[in-house]
Amino acid sequence: MKLIGYACSYIPVEILSATGLQPYRLLHGDIDLSKQGERFVRVDACPMVKSNLAYAIQNADKFAALIGTTGCDMSRRMFDVLSEQTNIPVYMVNNPRTDNPAMYNDEIDWLVKQLEHFSHMKFTDEMIREEISKWEGMRAELRIIDEKRAAHPSLVSTTDFHSVMAGYHKGSFDENVTFCQNPSDRPRLYLLGSAITYEANHILQLIEENLRIVGDFNCGLSRPLHIKIEGQSIDGIKKAYYNQPPCLYKRPHQKYYDFVAMEIARLRCIGIIAWTLDYCDVHEFELQKIEKVFNLPVLRIRSDFSYQGNSQLRTRIEAFAEMLCSRI
Amino acid sequence: MSDILTPRERFGLLVIDEKPDRCNTIPLITSHAATVKGMKLRDYYTNGENMARAQIAAIEKYGHDAISIFSEVGIIAEAMGTEFEYPENDLPIQRIPALQKQDIEEIEIPIPTSDARLPVYLDAIEYAYDALGDRIPILAYIPAPFTTGMMLSDPNKFLIQTIKEPDHVAAVMEKSLAAAIELCYHVIDVGGLPIIVDPLASSSVISPKAYQQYALPYERKLIDFLHRYDLDVILHICGDTTPIIHILPETHADLISIDRVSLADTIEKLSMKIRVIGNYDTSLLAFSSPDVIAREVKEMVKLSMNAHKGYIAATGCEVPIHAPFENVTAFINAAKENGWYWD
Amino acid sequence: MFEDLIPQKISLKEWSRQFRMLDDSQIKKYRYYTNDEWGHYLSPPATFMVYGARELRKLKFDNSLAALRLWGFTLNESERLFRARQSGKRIIATMGDLGTIPVIAMAFPDCIPFYPDCTWWTPFFNESTVLLDKASELGTPEASCFVRSTLAAFYKMAYFPKPDLLFASTGASCDDYSCIMQMVADLGYELNWLEIPYRRKLRDYHAEEKYSGTEHGFQYPERFETYLVNEYKRVWQKMQALTNIGDLEKLRESIKKNNRLRRLVDDIKNLTTEADTAPFPGLEMMVIEFGNLYGYADTDEWLDILEMIKETVTGRVKKGIGVLHSDAIPLAWVTPTADPLLLNIVEDMGGRVVATEYVINQALTEIEEDIEPFRALARSFMNASLIGSTEERIRHISENIASGRIAGVIITNMLGCSHCSMETRLIEQNLKNVPVLAIDIPAPLGITEQLKTRIAAFIEMLK
Repeated sequence: MKLIGYACSYIPVEILSATGLQPYRLLHGDIDLSKQGERFVRVDACPMVKSNLAYAIQNADKFAALIGTTGCDMSRRMFDVLSEQTNIPVYMVNNPRTDNPAMYNDEIDWLVKQLEHFSHMKFTDEMIREEISKWEGMRAELRIIDEKRAAHPSLVSTTDFHSVMAGYHKGSFDENVTFCQNPSDRPRLYLLGSAITYEANHILQLIEENLRIVGDFNCGLSRPLHIKIEGQSIDGIKKAYYNQPPCLYKRPHQKYYDFVAMEIARLRCIGIIAWTLDYCDVHEFELQKIEKVFNLPVLRIRSDFSYQGNSQLRTRIEAFAEMLCSRI
Repeated sequence: MSDILTPRERFGLLVIDEKPDRCNTIPLITSHAATVKGMKLRDYYTNGENMARAQIAAIEKYGHDAISIFSEVGIIAEAMGTEFEYPENDLPIQRIPALQKQDIEEIEIPIPTSDARLPVYLDAIEYAYDALGDRIPILAYIPAPFTTGMMLSDPNKFLIQTIKEPDHVAAVMEKSLAAAIELCYHVIDVGGLPIIVDPLASSSVISPKAYQQYALPYERKLIDFLHRYDLDVILHICGDTTPIIHILPETHADLISIDRVSLADTIEKLSMKIRVIGNYDTSLLAFSSPDVIAREVKEMVKLSMNAHKGYIAATGCEVPIHAPFENVTAFINAAKENGWYWD
Repeated sequence: MFEDLIPQKISLKEWSRQFRMLDDSQIKKYRYYTNDEWGHYLSPPATFMVYGARELRKLKFDNSLAALRLWGFTLNESERLFRARQSGKRIIATMGDLGTIPVIAMAFPDCIPFYPDCTWWTPFFNESTVLLDKASELGTPEASCFVRSTLAAFYKMAYFPKPDLLFASTGASCDDYSCIMQMVADLGYELNWLEIPYRRKLRDYHAEEKYSGTEHGFQYPERFETYLVNEYKRVWQKMQALTNIGDLEKLRESIKKNNRLRRLVDDIKNLTTEADTAPFPGLEMMVIEFGNLYGYADTDEWLDILEMIKETVTGRVKKGIGVLHSDAIPLAWVTPTADPLLLNIVEDMGGRVVATEYVINQALTEIEEDIEPFRALARSFMNASLIGSTEERIRHISENIASGRIAGVIITNMLGCSHCSMETRLIEQNLKNVPVLAIDIPAPLGITEQLKTRIAAFIEMLK
């Protein structure tokens, strides 16, 4: 099945899926892809954007279309580059940073029209209901797993959870996926920051050798699970996606902090991992505030996906874990 | 409370009639900087880089709000021909006044980049400006024409000439003014903000009438020249200026630095139009104790910090060369701690 | 007098000497806000150098009276804003949109709009890391746009007074500046956020939607005008609430005045570009172009200065004289340089800037005067440089290259700048058949001999 690529949590997968294509979130990030991406953009571009560029260009024949948004500036411009470098049709959606539901709703309406035009079919109410049911079903299954992750003690590692979520993001979620439960009473952490890419599982493994991530606010992990579509219609889709816990690039961004604070309290986290990719402005600019606002120890991890610093990172994680344990 | 602004920013706000984070604190640390650096005085005033490095050392030690490039008031007169002796551990001493050797008509306007110790001055300003000029104002003390005139002459003789030979004195004033302006061009070129010092025009030295007749008009001409550059001009007259305080606005100075005169009276008379600088007794810096200094400076700053056009906490004159470091520190810290404007 | 001087670029010291030619009446003639007490601004560059603008020692300036007014006026802006507040005017900070909101603010009496964004030049003019260090202390990453100095300026409140209103435009804009604006809000300032839509280009596979377009060929869905109209009406309402006034006729007048400004600048640019010998230096031309954003907080005086500049430039063009060699290599400059010295260096090495794309296209295009004013502003803004595709951005430079008027292109970047990192390669690809030199602007005092050598080699190669 051909893919329809997208890069933002505000793009409703239900609508993409209604085209008959497989929604595929561009969430690649590894050092090799990133270096290949430097043929098209400068070295100081986000390593995830560089990786996605390289992946999409190398696999252009797999993509029927790409849906871009005005999420972060580099992500938006990534689609500019893809328009120039490939023949993949690209359609850009304005995702307002400010509280502007009128713009968002209009843009989703026009996305629907665009996809209908593109796929030569009309999205009927029934089609939409089916898609909602399918994807809500997936999210419901994943919420069960997420609840186990959040349980006391935590029963599922984020490393395993990430693997399962990767299936969702790639549009190939296996409802029958099984894995061993992995209880842990290690210090409970909240993960936030830049996206966790498909290839970043090893970083999560490294962290969870000594700690347990029980909640997160990262693209690539549990963000889609906050989408709960109530009206069985495009309006219901719009409402659910627009009102999801807001991304940190929204302005003003107080609601992000309120939501994360609530989650940290609910999950009884005693520390935070702030994960940022090199040149990720949206998150790097917030690191100092994160350290002040949540009143918890924060471990900053900055990455360009290279393996070079892993032993040093392991030491830092161990020290952080030791410090947290001493506070319990 | 910690400083929010750099001294440059702080001074910049003062001179545009805005209240900065706290009161500017600029004790006149001139040759005292040599003591801070552990440098012989002669090395300080005969080498520009030394002078600047001593000033920088003082800034690093005390954290006050301006660098003061200065050693003594004879630098222009020296370049015009007055001879000085340079003791190793003291400031230059006048030996032969220029006008004892030549008539005023024969004396040439000095070239600041080459004559006598004027290049030392310019080197010091340039070095300090390169090092810290983005964050600290570099003040360059320029002897006013009257003070230069006195230094070109035997001082007693010059005072008599102010009564008996007014034409001669006027000629001396004109030439001294031209020399000061020429120096100012070069000072500005290297980043210094000229401040006019006229200690020999105070009422401790000359009568108010002589001041009005000879000193004030030439202070004003020099200040008007600097105003063409839209510079904010400080006029410093140490000693007793009580009899002339009310006419100091006629100099057109933007800031008046005072010494032995009531600060309260000065603020009352001048502060609607002119910013006031001063005026802690420098002898107390030499001989008093940190606690007493702190208390007195606190009173001084509290009295003056809300002067209408603005106020700079300062000493009345130069900080004594060998003033105890802890005393100077006490002055500066007390001024800073008690001069806050912002919450 | 000045009119008899041979046009040339002179140093700060030379300007101090030349300044002696002016008598006091000429100095007092020019003032901002028509104020005689503190409004005089005609002073040589040395004045500002004494107050900390250290790079002025290295720069070279045009030697005309018009240029002297330009420099005195623009370098004086910080004081002017404080004086505006002291004299009862209202200070309106507009951030991020680069050219449209000030037109609205100027429709209200005694309201002075300005761009805190322009603080990005301050570290370079001062050769100082004071603001950048403070920004780092406040949490901005090192690898980000130099506009982070704006955050430090808001913290210190020594570069402009506390604004009465702040408008912050985000959306299809730079991330780093959006983050900085959020950090300004976190300092306690109340920001009024505005949304900038992405100018989605029409492609042949798109579903049918009503598109509009600007005279410069930029297309966008027509409804985007309505989004912007709504945003500008919110700005208007805020201004009305602040001033208790609101006369749409004044908005029309403000549009006319800003158009006059834009036409004047366009005339000067055309004169400069088309002349055989560059009649005015590239650095002054950049300052002129950026004046379109807000008239440097006194549009009336700025207009007067521009008239004088135009007269000077016209006179030089007629005489066939200029400030650079007649064989200076014509270049296009893409993305403005934060360090003014780079423009001097390029000219010293034999280059001449004849075309620019300084990310402020929206401030250069005329606003339609015959349609509803908010819609006119919206349509004008849709010409913005950074809200659409890179290819659109450099189209007019491409056209100049095609016509043979440009021999090379210089692109200035900043490490970590979100649009620079993504656009530079695309720009290089799109500007076919012409050599491109991409330079990373170093931090203040960071221009090395190596960088100068690269520029020299580039220009030599073009020769």
